[in-house]
Amino acid sequence: MKIAATYSIKGGVGKTSTAVNLAFEAAREGARVLVWDLDPQGAATFLFRVRPKVRGGSRRMVGARGELAPNIRGSNLSPVHVVPADFSLRHLDLHLKKSARPSQRLADLLAPVQDLYDIALLDCPPSISLASESVFGAAEALLVPVVPATLAARTLTQLVDFLDDQEDAPLVLPILSMVDRRRRLHKELAESLAADWPELLATSIPAAAVIERMGIERAPVGVSAPSSPATRAYRSLWAEVSARLWA
Amino acid sequence: MQSSFTHPDRAASSVLRSLAAIGFEVGLPVATTCVVLDTFDARLHRAGLRLEHRIGEVGELVLAGPAGTPPAYLAWLKATPRFGGDFPSGPFGRRVVSLSQERALIPVVSFTTHTRVACRRDRRGKAVVWVLMHERPLADGAGAELPAWVAEVVGVVGHDDERADAFDRLARLGLVPAHGRAADVIARALGVSFEGHTSVPTIALDAEQDALSAYRAVLINLLSTIRDNLPGTLANTDPEFLHELRVAVRRTRSVLSQGRRVLPEDVRTRFATAFGQLGTLTSPARDLDVYVMGWDLMVAPLRLPDPQVLVRVRSEIERRRTAAHAALSAELGGEACRQTLEDWHGWLTDTQVVPPRPMPIGPWMARRIAKAQATVLVRGRAITPESPPEALHDLRKDAKKLRYLMECFGGLLPRKGRKAFVGQLKVLQDNLGDHQDAEVQLAELRLLAHDLHARARVDTDALLAMGRLSDLLDRRRRQQRELFVERFAGYDTKANGLVLAAMLNAVEPG
Repeated sequence: MKIAATYSIKGGVGKTSTAVNLAFEAAREGARVLVWDLDPQGAATFLFRVRPKVRGGSRRMVGARGELAPNIRGSNLSPVHVVPADFSLRHLDLHLKKSARPSQRLADLLAPVQDLYDIALLDCPPSISLASESVFGAAEALLVPVVPATLAARTLTQLVDFLDDQEDAPLVLPILSMVDRRRRLHKELAESLAADWPELLATSIPAAAVIERMGIERAPVGVSAPSSPATRAYRSLWAEVSARLWA
Repeated sequence: MQSSFTHPDRAASSVLRSLAAIGFEVGLPVATTCVVLDTFDARLHRAGLRLEHRIGEVGELVLAGPAGTPPAYLAWLKATPRFGGDFPSGPFGRRVVSLSQERALIPVVSFTTHTRVACRRDRRGKAVVWVLMHERPLADGAGAELPAWVAEVVGVVGHDDERADAFDRLARLGLVPAHGRAADVIARALGVSFEGHTSVPTIALDAEQDALSAYRAVLINLLSTIRDNLPGTLANTDPEFLHELRVAVRRTRSVLSQGRRVLPEDVRTRFATAFGQLGTLTSPARDLDVYVMGWDLMVAPLRLPDPQVLVRVRSEIERRRTAAHAALSAELGGEACRQTLEDWHGWLTDTQVVPPRPMPIGPWMARRIAKAQATVLVRGRAITPESPPEALHDLRKDAKKLRYLMECFGGLLPRKGRKAFVGQLKVLQDNLGDHQDAEVQLAELRLLAHDLHARARVDTDALLAMGRLSDLLDRRRRQQRELFVERFAGYDTKANGLVLAAMLNAVEPG
């Protein structure tokens, strides 16, 4: 099982949309997918129509005797299973702090289910915290959506600087998100980001109404708008991500 | 696990009405064909997987594991896949190919139904349990009576209560629970098994059993393997059919050669000759199979600047392989072969056969195995760096004889010791086999180079590449030759000898 996380220090950049749509595309290509919603807002949980309930709360789940399996739920897409989020995850840092190896705890929890899935996608909350470090300890790749704005590029630099000091840091794969090619500023920032970050994935995700409507449709764009440019973009993004993960 | 229902009298429509009454959404019927695929030896089934090609409103491949694990789906609009190479790169294909390897995927059972999907949703709109109503199943060439319908209950992970509730409600309707999914129910009705064919030579034997009856039981088992693999060999379905058939023929020859004084001499001589000829017939096709299957790995170290240089050479080998298989099919499908197998079966099942010399199999076989081991050790110890390649080839044949005895009559020996001993023997055999393969391929390549050059079928670049390939094979052959000393020393140990002695003592006390 490969483990990737949609992660950004900044909020509102398209992490959950990326996780949900990549989960759909991975499943469409024949993968068995586990989405672990780590964000107490539970947006991925909501989009997959799963009840937002962690059995015993996050304290029990990440505690010494905690397990992931009892929390796994089927979603409205058969090959996609979800570990839902609930509000107890707002204390995830506190609970992780009590464990013996906080930065490895999420990896330890995923280990028993590694033969059941081809990929686990961790949808992370926007922050840099102990929980983030545990994500870095588990994930092989961080998929980092970056919106075409000066401040967004700065947070990417902060993340990479932070990871430079870490042992076995995951691969950072920045993704241009919410791009409106008609806007000159977006175009210019996209070009400069590509020049500054050779790791930037070639696919950019457009700013699109169908993505915004995911909250209403409660489905990936591949289901609600299968022929849309957004769906094509996520398909192309998955092709790039899977090529990097299984290289 | 019981997860389906049928009923001989009750109509499917009434079951669906009952489901609708308790909140299930019932869809329209869709004609769906389901083809369950597996290798001849059921590699997917044995790994707990089920691969289905479903052709309905959409075409898809489904790879399902045990309950509770997520199935994998792949949209599939092409013909039913047959080999690993038919799958796109990705986790789905990787999982199948890691098991099927070079084997073809063969339809185990194929049926068409009119399927309605009924699902119950929770308040978030998520389906929490499904009932798939498969009506009017039709199967190719089915003479068997199939159930009028099969209702399959499919749970969703994390919603066990909802699944149990649906199951209880269907049971309360008086329906008959059935084990497994719809494909299992229909396959059972058709008399089809998902277990596949095995070529395991070891059968249960009793040390006190008369030697003739033990030999005949072993030989009947080997004949079944030959017959099972014959259609796939004739059709050249995949290379493993021929391989399994050849191994069963070799085992048969080996058992016959070790059957002096147990089997009537006229029978033994006649069929030793017949199976010898059968084995010889199969060699060219198998040698070329090995060549083609190993080609990519073999040429990879050459790091050719233009891989197209050897395309013609490979095509020529492929052409020869196809011709060898056609010739083999003509011979194996011929009257002489059919008659041999029929006569052999006739003798093996003839209840009037009297043992030429009644004796218990245990002590007899212990002596045969001890003798075969002694031959291996004497021949192996006599090999020096100056010995000709034929000496290794002869040792390889002796090692095979020993291995076949250990496997075919393994039912007499303690399992644990046998596995350990055969494991050691296999390490030696792998070395001897790799040496022999390199020898054969080298000789074949040189003949091919001369032939292609004489017929002006290859250019200079290809000839140079063949020369490099020839060097590579020669190096590999020499490496295996050097490795032999170490491998044989690893086999010819006191500990290994004691393992064998303990096993043989168990069947021949004292």
